[in-house]
Amino acid sequence: MAAEFGALLRPTSNARRLKSNLVVALAVVATAMALIPLVSVAFYLITQGAGVLNLNFLLQDPPGDLSAAGGGIRNAITGTLEMTALATVIAAPLGILIAVFDTEVGGRVAVGTRFLIDVLAALPSIVIGIFVYSLVVVAQGHFSGFAGSVALAAIMLPVIVVSTEEMLRLIPRSINEGARALGLSRWRTYASVFIPTALSGIFTGLLLAVSRAIGETAPLLFTALGNNFFSTDMNEPMQGLPLLIYRNALNSAFPAARDRAMGAALMLVLIVLAFNLLGRWLVARRKQGRSAAR
Amino acid sequence: MAVSVNTRGDPGGPAPDPFVRRHRINGDVVFRLVAAAAATLTIGLIALMVFDSVQAAWPAFQRFGLNFVTGIRWSPSFTIYGALPFIYGTLLTSAIALLLAVPIAVLIALLVSEFLPPRIGRPVAIVVDMLAAVPSVVWGLWGLLVLVPFIRPIEHGIADGPGRLIPFLGAPTPGPSYFVAGVVVAVMIIPIVAALTREVFATTPRLQREAVLALGGTRWDVIRRVVLPIGRTGLLAAILLGLGRAIGETIAVTMVIGNAPRIGGSIFSPGFTLASVIANEFNEATEPLHAESLVGLGVVLLVIAIAVNGAGVAVRRRFERSAGRGR
Repeated sequence: MAAEFGALLRPTSNARRLKSNLVVALAVVATAMALIPLVSVAFYLITQGAGVLNLNFLLQDPPGDLSAAGGGIRNAITGTLEMTALATVIAAPLGILIAVFDTEVGGRVAVGTRFLIDVLAALPSIVIGIFVYSLVVVAQGHFSGFAGSVALAAIMLPVIVVSTEEMLRLIPRSINEGARALGLSRWRTYASVFIPTALSGIFTGLLLAVSRAIGETAPLLFTALGNNFFSTDMNEPMQGLPLLIYRNALNSAFPAARDRAMGAALMLVLIVLAFNLLGRWLVARRKQGRSAAR
Repeated sequence: MAVSVNTRGDPGGPAPDPFVRRHRINGDVVFRLVAAAAATLTIGLIALMVFDSVQAAWPAFQRFGLNFVTGIRWSPSFTIYGALPFIYGTLLTSAIALLLAVPIAVLIALLVSEFLPPRIGRPVAIVVDMLAAVPSVVWGLWGLLVLVPFIRPIEHGIADGPGRLIPFLGAPTPGPSYFVAGVVVAVMIIPIVAALTREVFATTPRLQREAVLALGGTRWDVIRRVVLPIGRTGLLAAILLGLGRAIGETIAVTMVIGNAPRIGGSIFSPGFTLASVIANEFNEATEPLHAESLVGLGVVLLVIAIAVNGAGVAVRRRFERSAGRGR
């Protein structure tokens, strides 16, 4: 070690300074390169999609034939919102309860649950699609919006568990001790102290999970399947924005399908971005609040 | 196990409020039961789904045995199902993605955490994170309509020129290919690897950085002598977790890989990955053995993904422990 650092004792030579600056330049170039796709996708969506995206496009259903012009994406928007909402209703309470179970009960059992949640997070989304197919679709005998919701819930669950656990762990020990000193029961402690304290963090994790689930296509392929008609019935095959984009993109040789895919993609990105930015804004606000409190 | 402190039950203390007490005991029992039930239910469901899928794929495993994994032919019309072309495709696209993404992601992490002041670095990090916010299907659409037309002439230039002499770079080059899929996946994993690497670099002890600077070292010296050696394990974990994501990436890959069920001789050949062949054929698989074989591909994919991600999580835990001790 000493010999290695010996070289540093010589005054900083121009050559070494140059090398260092070269690396900085390289890092700037690499970052710029990584942002090219982002700029390109934004430019492309806005120039090609904005012209398509108007009120009629949002309020009409697509034509039965992908190659036909006209129509809109109403059924896909309602389908995506409905399935994501149900997925949240399934995943949020389960995820929060699992996080509570892990922090409160602890021990070897919690390590086991944590491991399985890690496994769930590692599953490729297409595999989740197959799982839900074999569990829900086969049992029901048909594709359905409900099956799509279950698949999306499986995507959301690990995100919610991990973020909630992190938030619960951040709660200062003194608050826990205070609750114990007051003789609060454990469930009271969670219900009226811990969860409210961690609420904004939990909510942020929830928003990020939603923004992830909204854009998922693969888990919906064999569960919700897609539907060319407007339907709010969770027991029927249901359309979603990602599914609509996928199917139209594969037929992008037809100008109508291509335009529909671009408009729907712009809409999807705007929805995802809204959830994402809301989550980030809450994180930033919480951080500010904490540093102001100190 | 948490010990519940029952101060109110102490004899000689203030008279316990029977109403509160009764509810406390019942509440805690119910509370623990509900939490445990949620955990058990979820675990049970995951186990049931894995079991169901393995069972659904069993006929294919039984019929082909080890040939299911090593077979190079996948032909529904001849009811022959060998997964090797797809395993090859998954590994090749992931390798291309890693080769492109890791250097870029590490340089981004260096720029953000070492070179830029936090005031500028943080917004740059947020913009890079935005790459991860774009849904997979949108990257696929972009890949199909923007990237393929852009890369096609480059592919032709390489394949018809130097590619004739170099293996893996030759023709045929219709456009969609392992290479395009690798580029799209690289774009998608850059933000993940960059974020994980940034976290790793942020744990570098300050004293050792300052020691190098005090000896007259440049910022590159700090990185080469301190940041990279200390973060080596963490960097490996970031790469493994990025690889895990690359292996499972489905829709974007399906849209740009060309969907050819064979082992392409060149990185510019069209191919298929495990995930994309499932996405493409599952709904059309009317023949039982075809569907069973596709579920079998899912099981193979599951095993690879869990192995890679498990290794990533294990290495990261090791890094976190060693970083915790160093401080």
